[in-house]
Amino acid sequence: MTDLTGTPQIFGTWEALTAVSHHYAAMNLHATHLANHWRRNSLSSDYWAAYAALQIPETVPTGWLRRDDVNYVLSYLLNELFENCAKFSAGPEQTVHYQAWFEDERMVFQFTNHITPAGERPFITLIQELLTSDPDELYFQKLEENAEQEISASGLGYLTLIKDYGIQFGFRFRPINAEITAVDVQAHVSLKEAAF
Amino acid sequence: MSVEIVSGEEYTVTYNDSTESLTFDGSMRLRTSEEYEPINELMQQALSSTPEGNLLTMDFSSLKFLNSSGINIISRFVIAARKQGTVPLKVVGNQDIYWQQKSLTNLQRLWSSVQIEIQ
Repeated sequence: MTDLTGTPQIFGTWEALTAVSHHYAAMNLHATHLANHWRRNSLSSDYWAAYAALQIPETVPTGWLRRDDVNYVLSYLLNELFENCAKFSAGPEQTVHYQAWFEDERMVFQFTNHITPAGERPFITLIQELLTSDPDELYFQKLEENAEQEISASGLGYLTLIKDYGIQFGFRFRPINAEITAVDVQAHVSLKEAAF
Repeated sequence: MSVEIVSGEEYTVTYNDSTESLTFDGSMRLRTSEEYEPINELMQQALSSTPEGNLLTMDFSSLKFLNSSGINIISRFVIAARKQGTVPLKVVGNQDIYWQQKSLTNLQRLWSSVQIEIQ
């Protein structure tokens, strides 16, 4: 549902972040490039995961993620988000904007892609389900449902990231015009071991 | 005795009927469940070839990456094995591969007869 005033709609953990050069990295891509050459998703995610993980010292205090662990978490996270941009971008605007903030205790990643206004409602319904349910319960419920009948956008990637890695997500929908809505997805990654 | 292999650019899945094991190597981050279908078929074949009561081993210890579509396929297979109920599964993982310590135990939550061994 597009807000007629053009005001963005925000869900989950959202933070207004600015491009501070010593913390910040960004890249622009094209969703059709990612979709047409699928391995560009994993290639991009592995590159940025390794790039980000290099700031982790070779030895870390107890309770902090090791460099290799950060690399694995980020490869999984970024690959899911690049894949989503490749799969779900729709309409005339196909730019994908990747942004990252590397801080001492956390990293934040933001992906912007574009959909049509008609695509907002099903995505918002899924997001609200993800943000209001018990992730553990919903994860197993989705797997059982998927075993009976496949659901193409089940949110399983997000659920794994929330449940197994403690990653927090924020979502923002920005109406651009009658044909285009920009979707910003923010992932907040703590560099400390998630306490479960 | 036979060994069957399904492979792609970045992964290999091997079924060895003499060791009753499926081994996953490389990185499986395919686009859709259709693209995962050859892997699914090999897993189904392993399940139907394993004699009742014997353990089928799924060794992920050399699988560096798996995307959520892959997790879905593996989970569906575990649910199918649970429904069949005659061949228990052993899942082998690698302590050094972070997603495996975090996510492989989910398979046991799908079916309590899944044994998990993280080495």
